[in-house]
Amino acid sequence: MGDIKRKEIGNLSDPRLPYDYMNREHGTVPLNPDRPHFQWVSEVAYKNIHRIVTRGYDTTELVEQGYGVVDILFIDFQARIPTQEEEKMLNYILILSLEDGLSMPAVMSRLVGRSKTFLTQACGSAILAFGHAYGAYAAFGTMLTDYLARAEAEGKSKAEMAEVLVKEQKTGEALGYSDLMLKDPAAKRLFARAEKLGIAGENIAFMKEIVKAAQALDEGPVDLDLLGATGAAMMDLGFTPEAMWTIIAVTRSYGAGAHFIEEIEREEFTRLGETLTPKEFYDGPEDRPVPPLADRRKTAAPAQVHSFEEWRTTLEKRKELLGSGFSIVEEIEDPTRKTGSKH
Amino acid sequence: MNEKREQQTRTGREPLLKRKTAVSYKTDEKTVLRGYNMSDLAEEGYSLCDAMYVLFQGRIPTEAEEKMLKYEMGEFMEHSMSPSAASAISVTAGRPNLPAAVAAAVMTFGSAHGPGAAHGYMMNKYLERARKEGKTIDEIAKILVDEYMDNGVPVMGMGQPQHRDGDPRAEPTHLKQETLEISGVYLELQRAIEKHFHARRKKEKRSYVPVNCVGAGNTALCDIGFSPNAAWCIGSVVRGYSCAAHAVYTMKKGRAWAASRNEPMTQMLDLSMIKYIGPDDRPVPTQEERQEYARKQKETGEFKKWVI
Repeated sequence: MGDIKRKEIGNLSDPRLPYDYMNREHGTVPLNPDRPHFQWVSEVAYKNIHRIVTRGYDTTELVEQGYGVVDILFIDFQARIPTQEEEKMLNYILILSLEDGLSMPAVMSRLVGRSKTFLTQACGSAILAFGHAYGAYAAFGTMLTDYLARAEAEGKSKAEMAEVLVKEQKTGEALGYSDLMLKDPAAKRLFARAEKLGIAGENIAFMKEIVKAAQALDEGPVDLDLLGATGAAMMDLGFTPEAMWTIIAVTRSYGAGAHFIEEIEREEFTRLGETLTPKEFYDGPEDRPVPPLADRRKTAAPAQVHSFEEWRTTLEKRKELLGSGFSIVEEIEDPTRKTGSKH
Repeated sequence: MNEKREQQTRTGREPLLKRKTAVSYKTDEKTVLRGYNMSDLAEEGYSLCDAMYVLFQGRIPTEAEEKMLKYEMGEFMEHSMSPSAASAISVTAGRPNLPAAVAAAVMTFGSAHGPGAAHGYMMNKYLERARKEGKTIDEIAKILVDEYMDNGVPVMGMGQPQHRDGDPRAEPTHLKQETLEISGVYLELQRAIEKHFHARRKKEKRSYVPVNCVGAGNTALCDIGFSPNAAWCIGSVVRGYSCAAHAVYTMKKGRAWAASRNEPMTQMLDLSMIKYIGPDDRPVPTQEERQEYARKQKETGEFKKWVI
C-alpha cells in the first residue's frame, strides 16, 4: 500500500480523534496463535459424519425408539425425557397453539406470500409476529417467576401475591387474563387437563389466584386467556419463558404456512407500486409546493434546541407528526438493577 | 377499568385482513380448524402430528401415518450446526428479540438447505410424465437421473456435505416407511432414482453419493399425503424448534456480539476471523477529482471483476 497518497481528508487530522486516522494500519488482523481457533460451542447438540446428537441422545435412536418432536422439545430445551403425562400435556398445548384464524401471524404470512416469496420467508415472518403484546410469553413468564419469587421472599401466600400483582400490573398485554375468552372454555379446559394429568404445579395454581384476584378487583369481566393458560402450563412443564415464547411462535408458524399456501391458491400476487392509498385515508400535512432548492436556507428550520424548556416544548410539538416516532416511549432497563442476559 | 385497559377491550375483534379462508375460523366461543374445534381435538388426545394432517389435509390420519410423521418431525428437528442453527446463533449475537433469531433460522431454508418443496415438485412432474407417456416408475426414474446428470444439475434428494457416508436419518426413514407399510408411489420412485443415480455414478467411476434427509423424509411426507409446500413447511418449521434452543442457549450462556477478546477461544466475529480478498486499499478521491476518477474507473473496466 506504499503508493497510497496521503492528504488531508475532512476532519480526519483533528487532534481530538482518539488515534492517528491518517496513518492507520491497512490489512486484516492476523490470526492469534495463542488463542484456540473459533468453534461452534454448544450444550444443545453436535453431529459427526454418522450421528446427530442432542443433549447426549442420538436423534435417530430417539425416533426409532418411538420418541417424537414433542419429546425432543423437552430434550432440546431441558435435557431430559418427559414423562408420558408431560408429553401429552405439551401435545395438548401445541394443538391449541397451532392456529388462530386470520390473526397476525397468518396475516403476515399471507402478505409476505403475496410478494411471491419462498414459503419459508412467510413462515419466518409469522414468527416475527410474536412480540411483547401478541404472544407475550417471555413477558408473561418473567412476570409469574418474579412475583412467585417475591411471594416467597415476603412470606405471602399465592392469593395475597396475586392481589399485589393485579394491583401493580393494571395495564399490559401479558397478564394471562383478559376479556378475550369469556365465552371460549378452551383455556379453562387446558388447566383442567393439566390437573387431570397431574402436571399442574405452582404456576397454574398462581395463575388461578391471579384470575380470582382480577375478577374481584377489576371493573369489567375478565377470565383466564390462552396466554395465561398455555404459559402457566408450559412453565409447570419446566420450560423457561424464553423457551415457551419461541416454541409457541414456531408452532403457530405451521398454521401460517397453510395460510401462505391458501393465499397463493386463492389470491393474486402484488407488484411494486400496485397498491394505492386513497387520499381519504391521509390526514397528514396538506398538499404543499416543494420549495426551490435554492431557497433552502430561507425555508428550512434547524432542529437544534439549546435549553431544557425549548427541548421539552419541541418534543411535544414533534409528537403532532404521527409516524415521526416521538409519541412512542419505550422503557429501558434500569441500570441500578442488576440485569443481564448471562445467567 | 383504566383508560388503557378500556382501549384493550374490544367488542368487534374483527380480522386484520378480510379473506375467505378454508383453513380455520375463530369466534368468541371457539377456534375451529378445518371443521374441528381445536380444544376438542386436544381433549380427545390427538397429537400435534395428528393436527398437522387436519391443518394441511383436512383429515385425521391413520395410526401408521401419525407414527410416520412423528418419526419424520422428530428426526428432522435437531441437526446441530447447519445453516439454520448458524443463522439463529449469529442473529442472537446482536441480542434482538428471540423471534428474530428463530425466524432467521426458518428463513434459511431455500434451494440448497432442505429444499423440500422442489423435491416434491420434481417427483410430481416426472410421475405425471410417466403417466402420460406410459412409462414405468423405473423407466421414468432413469430418465429423471439422466436428464439431471446430462445437464450437470444435481439430482435433488441426493448428497449431504457433512454426512459424506450417508445422512444418518435418511435410510432409516425409508425403512420406517416400509415397516409401517405406508410405502406408495413416491417411495417407489425415490428408490428407483437412487438405484439409477448410484449405477450411473459407478459407471462414471465417481464417488458414492447417498440419499439425503430431503430425499428420504420428503418422500415419506409425499406418500402420507402432504403437498410439496406443506411438506416443506413441516420440515423447515420443525427445525425452528431446535434453532430456538440454540438461540436461547446462546442468549443465556454465550457472549453478546461474539467478538470478545476476553473469552479463551477466538470468537466467531473476532477481527482475526476476517479474510479479505477484495481490491487493495486505495485513496478516496476528493469531490474535485471525482468525475475524472469515476470516468477512468468505468473506462478501464477493472471493477467488473468485483461486481456481484
